[in-house]
Amino acid sequence: MDKTLQKDPAKKIGAAIAVCLIAALYIFLILLDNVLPANGFTLMLIPVLKKGAIYSLICVSMNLLNGFTGLFSLGQAGFLLVGAYAYAIFAIPSDQHAAVYQYFDGGAIGFSIPEALAKVLGENAGAFLGAVICIILAGLVAAVFAALIGIPVLRLKSDYLAIATLGFAEIIRAIFQWNGVGPVTNGSNMLRKYTSFSAIKIGEIKLATAFPFFIAMICIGLIVLLINSSYGRAFKAVRDDEVAAEAMGISLFKHKMLSFVISSFFAGVGGALLAMYQTTIQANAFKSAMTYEILLIVVIGGIGSVSGSCIASFLYIACNEWWLRFLDSGGVTLFGKEITVPFFRDGFRKVVFSVIIMVIVLFFSRGIMGDKELSFAGLVRKLRKKKTAEAAEGGAGK
Amino acid sequence: MKKLFALVLAVVMVLALAAPAFAADTITIGVYEPLTGDNGPGGKQEYLGMQYANLETPTVEIDGTTYDVELVVADNESSTDKAVSAATQLVAENASVVLGSYGSSVAIAGSDTFGEAGIPVIGVTCTNPQVTIGNDHYFRICFTDPGQGAIHAQFAKNSLGASKVYCLGELGNDYDQGLLNYFQDTAAELGLEVQKEDFPNGTSDFTAYLTNAKNFGAEVIFAPCSIPYGQLIIQQAASQGLDVVITGPDTWDSNMIMDSVVATGLDVYCTTFYGEGGAPEFEEGFKEYLNSDDTALTNNGGNDMIAAVSVMGYDAYYVALEAIKAAGSTDPADIMAALPDVTYEGATGAIAFGENGDAVRSTAFIKHANAETGEWEAELTELG
Repeated sequence: MDKTLQKDPAKKIGAAIAVCLIAALYIFLILLDNVLPANGFTLMLIPVLKKGAIYSLICVSMNLLNGFTGLFSLGQAGFLLVGAYAYAIFAIPSDQHAAVYQYFDGGAIGFSIPEALAKVLGENAGAFLGAVICIILAGLVAAVFAALIGIPVLRLKSDYLAIATLGFAEIIRAIFQWNGVGPVTNGSNMLRKYTSFSAIKIGEIKLATAFPFFIAMICIGLIVLLINSSYGRAFKAVRDDEVAAEAMGISLFKHKMLSFVISSFFAGVGGALLAMYQTTIQANAFKSAMTYEILLIVVIGGIGSVSGSCIASFLYIACNEWWLRFLDSGGVTLFGKEITVPFFRDGFRKVVFSVIIMVIVLFFSRGIMGDKELSFAGLVRKLRKKKTAEAAEGGAGK
Repeated sequence: MKKLFALVLAVVMVLALAAPAFAADTITIGVYEPLTGDNGPGGKQEYLGMQYANLETPTVEIDGTTYDVELVVADNESSTDKAVSAATQLVAENASVVLGSYGSSVAIAGSDTFGEAGIPVIGVTCTNPQVTIGNDHYFRICFTDPGQGAIHAQFAKNSLGASKVYCLGELGNDYDQGLLNYFQDTAAELGLEVQKEDFPNGTSDFTAYLTNAKNFGAEVIFAPCSIPYGQLIIQQAASQGLDVVITGPDTWDSNMIMDSVVATGLDVYCTTFYGEGGAPEFEEGFKEYLNSDDTALTNNGGNDMIAAVSVMGYDAYYVALEAIKAAGSTDPADIMAALPDVTYEGATGAIAFGENGDAVRSTAFIKHANAETGEWEAELTELG
């Protein structure tokens, strides 16, 4: 089979399958929010799906940096923080400022973007457009921070870069908590009452779960396009061998900077979505542990695999926040009977979870996907090959 | 033989599946507490009070029908980013009313989830005013930070006769910073001289801060921080030979702080919700319960000293039962409607709800840690 000469039909079929699946997913998400009955299963499914989608974007943005450009940066929590705050600060309705900035006389910012737009466009459209503008703004602010930090930091390599970016994340957190900037960031206190997912709807149709998927999918799509472009190939060249890449005429600093800024932009967008999901935001939550959590998901999914990061995000969030919770309840319910298991007690979930992660890291160190991508075209091709192999009756399938 | 076996198996399975249908009616009370993370120990102690209350009174009468009360706990990991899923878990378990949480920031973070589901929540020891402001579903049975901050300033000025107070809080912790804010407000009114500093999260060496306090000439150090920091501050103040009184917030009412005090002999005071000996019957029963259950004893920190948060948890459970009785229904909406008018004479005093769903509390306790006997000595004070 010469793929270069004839058009590959598998690609077309694969694309069709992907489009159908995505359409089905959105229909399901909208049904989930509006029609499906609220029982124990659907109620837990909704936050897991939302957070999974958000973490997918955050992990893919980290993967762009760590997996595709080979820059071992640990500043992700800092950029999430910047994004989350930038979003929240501009989305708090002005009549709530007095309550939110209770120790800072209503704060220094007297306006809200969604509110201003709602006056012009009506409530729903204003909330939607305002949220999108604030999300983009969050990304831009994070990107500006990255550009400023990148100039000194990106001249460092491997471990030194990791230490410098980790330090940045800690410093940025301390600055945001400082009372001197309290009128803007509310110091140590929470930001809340801003536009959250539940305000996103068209008419009576709620889009609370579909919205984070929508934003995350666009962003991940853009990252994939970038990775497959000439810039993406340059990133990979830098990752594989810096000296060789430079000899080929790739400007190391320019490409590292590009990757760093773009990754931070999407981390900022992820932070904004996280703020929307949590409905409250506090700098205290963005500790280095959050960066490690994201790094862990990237490793579990496979460093250098976009689809791996997405799959791992959903699995990680579901395990952490849903499936393993029964381990804390003191027993299991089988056939309506409570069975007490001696080890099952508060906090046992964390032990089991840690063991699972250790097993993955020790025995499946390349992660779920390695550096491969989930591709429907590839799947179709594989199935076809199998068929032709069967038809050839034990002939050389390959 | 095989047929018979299959038949028996089938019958057993059907019976097992049908078992819940024969069981008495149950009503679920959700417990929204941190069981792991920074506030894990405090959350567990609060939950212990509820568990004991549930053991004591496992049923509630609604319109002549006896309902079994089932406690379902969701761990919010002391972290605001896990709050949404923990709160959703309780919604998914069909909780009629929710109790918790230890720590105001997780309470605020989970609040919207409960609000959207229309489930009323009774805050047990979350003292930040923001928990109940601006919503109808969050109630609270404890005093709030403005009152607590004011008590500390008045206590420093009037009882300890201080003129200079050094304030120390954790940067980025809204609980510490909120209390310091209210303390400073009252201190300014009283004419106290105050110097305030913040330490970053994870600090273990307080030498520099304590030296600053000494240079400032502070007679009192007010440190509204969590228990681990409190222990370190007490120990390091003693090793530096500071001649000061250290005062702490309600979180300090713990046997772990007492251990540090006994080891150092410093003068330490804290505010709290409950004074020892306030409800002897409860104390006796609760100690018996702790000593009869290994897990409970471990969760209480290894001994049977009663934490004020446990007593508050105990009272919160009974307030919830009163609300269920008053509503005459298991429906969260009915309970929410009934809650504002609920009154209850609890182990920590009379409980009634006023403005914003906050408890009407006119008193708090100030406790002195007696370094010689290793006991807390409580004194009742009027809230300012």
